Amino acid sequence: MAGLSYSQIQGELNSAQLSALPPFNIAIVRNVVVEPIEPYLRYLAYRAGFNARCDFNEYDNVFQEAVGGQKGILNDRTDCVLVFLKLENVSWALARGFASLGEDQIDSEKDRVRNLISSVVAGIRKQTAGLLLWNSFELPLQPALGIVDYQQGMGQMACVGELNAFLRDTLRAQRSAYLLDMNVCRARIGASHFYDQRYWHMGKAPYSREALEEISNETFKYIRPLLGKNRKCLVLDCDNVLWGGTVGEDGLPGIKLGRTYPGSAYYELQQEILNLYHRGVVLALCSKNNEQDVWEVFDAHPDMLLRKEHIATAQINWRDKVSNLKQIAADLSLGLDSFVFVDDSPFEAEQVRQYLPQVQVVHLPEAQAVEYRDMLAAGGWFDTLTLSAEDRQRGAMYRAEASRQELQMQSHDLASYYASLSMVLEIGLADDFSIPRIAQLTQKTNQFNLTTRRYSDAQIQALSEDRSVDVIHVQLKDRFGASGLAGVCILKYEEDRAHIDSFLLSCRVLGRGVEDAFLVQCMKRARLRGCTIAIGEYLPTAKNDQVRDFYPQRAFHPVAQDHSVHRFELDLTTFEGSEPAFFSRIDSQITSIQ
Amino acid sequence: MEEKVLNVVSQVLGIPVDTITDDSSPESIEAWDSLKHMNLVLALEEEFGIRFSDERIVAMLSVRSIKDAVAELVPQAT
Repeated sequence: MAGLSYSQIQGELNSAQLSALPPFNIAIVRNVVVEPIEPYLRYLAYRAGFNARCDFNEYDNVFQEAVGGQKGILNDRTDCVLVFLKLENVSWALARGFASLGEDQIDSEKDRVRNLISSVVAGIRKQTAGLLLWNSFELPLQPALGIVDYQQGMGQMACVGELNAFLRDTLRAQRSAYLLDMNVCRARIGASHFYDQRYWHMGKAPYSREALEEISNETFKYIRPLLGKNRKCLVLDCDNVLWGGTVGEDGLPGIKLGRTYPGSAYYELQQEILNLYHRGVVLALCSKNNEQDVWEVFDAHPDMLLRKEHIATAQINWRDKVSNLKQIAADLSLGLDSFVFVDDSPFEAEQVRQYLPQVQVVHLPEAQAVEYRDMLAAGGWFDTLTLSAEDRQRGAMYRAEASRQELQMQSHDLASYYASLSMVLEIGLADDFSIPRIAQLTQKTNQFNLTTRRYSDAQIQALSEDRSVDVIHVQLKDRFGASGLAGVCILKYEEDRAHIDSFLLSCRVLGRGVEDAFLVQCMKRARLRGCTIAIGEYLPTAKNDQVRDFYPQRAFHPVAQDHSVHRFELDLTTFEGSEPAFFSRIDSQITSIQ
Repeated sequence: MEEKVLNVVSQVLGIPVDTITDDSSPESIEAWDSLKHMNLVLALEEEFGIRFSDERIVAMLSVRSIKDAVAELVPQAT
């Protein structure tokens, strides 16, 4: 893991300053022994900036733990639940004795397993809204009926497959609950490396160290987006990454790119990069070249899959890559900690690692071009918990932003620029459709975020159902297109006070008065709910300094302060806010009684 | 080889290297329970590229016996 062995990882954890990091509580509900996974989970949490704690339920009392009653390991401080339910310990008959079962017995065993699954899922959700990751049943490697099993409708393979499908459907009906594919984990490292039969027999611990490492990696692909730690931008070197050779020396006909060897390695890598683009990853180029040489390849090479339209921004020059990466970050308004940087040069890779440690550097080793596609695909840095239409449109949104910036350069003053955009705001309360996008925005937004509180889908749903809370969102459209979900405000009401638990805006919509219009609307809402005072908080972080004076600049008065929380109050009875005039239209669903 | 074994024991059990003796065992080290023993076995196997039999695993209950077990499987124990 990260080039470290199992014992080195434990050594690093021993010497790390973990208590300085925010906690992350993982509850592991299991019917087999999986304790050796703990160092891997804690290490990945540490790399993501968290101090994880792992609690394991008493061995094999899964049902009791889930359904609760007694205070076990699941509570409202649980951030994540991992479930390891091995079929052998749920139904020995289905897992190991399948060939001896008649059809009726198979059906009744399946019913029993399905009932157990339903109870456990529901029970866990009653006790915690934390992220729920359930490891699927493993398909039999040696199916019970032999080769006939695969051909038959009701062989063992099909039976386990059906139970997994039931699991997936049951989890999908809950918020923030996912089925983790054990079979793909097993396939990746090889089934012969997945099990440890010694420990299965000696200690009911079925999985090998390599298996637990792979499962941990897969698990954190789900946890990182919840913590806002998934990456968003892929910055690419060009020579010997997007094509073989250097375009400056070899010229357009000389570089290697095509459907046959050796260019096929680079073609397949480009296809993988294009897939990421369509998943909402922002692409940028960072190359030491003459600009026109690079763009000529994009425009004129017949086998280029990547086109100029896929590239949000590029720094193609002879400056050092550290400066170029900083410029790209500024141009995209994205933090460097959301970057993955790919380069074939060990010098460039090491320099960026040293000076920009927050960037994930992927060095593509020389003479291994045929492996590049797998290296990129296996990274798992860009996974998100939801893939919305908005994510898929992200590339187009960046092009629209470039159009806005061109327009701004042509406008004479800001007010006329804003008016020329024909901006429309839509403000409403959270609903089924917007809940996942709201949760995602709370996880991702670091800069224009007053309190940086992160919420899962399940938590936003719970808040939106709470009558003493309003979860409000705003969307922005202008003549260039929709910016998608632009901001979130969570108001918690207590008698005549409205606490602004969260107020955050996507950096895509800053600098256009959206924050002012949105705040005014939310304050009107608070007044409508009978509040006389609104209380805003600013919790300083390394990234949100730009909103330090947000409340004071908008008629809030500072009250009690301490280092970590700055509080402000607004008198709603005398508040006379008005939205900026340059908005074409504001459709608000929150300022009339619902 | 012996130094590597001590390093692994130190890292997995979370104790300083200089507190480990050949006689150290689950009886003398509080952190060394059966679950930690499993972590220890897995770490040693990865470190040396070896694989213990299940019989050997249950017998490896002191630092001395661990060193012997590793030495048996590593081609050139140094």
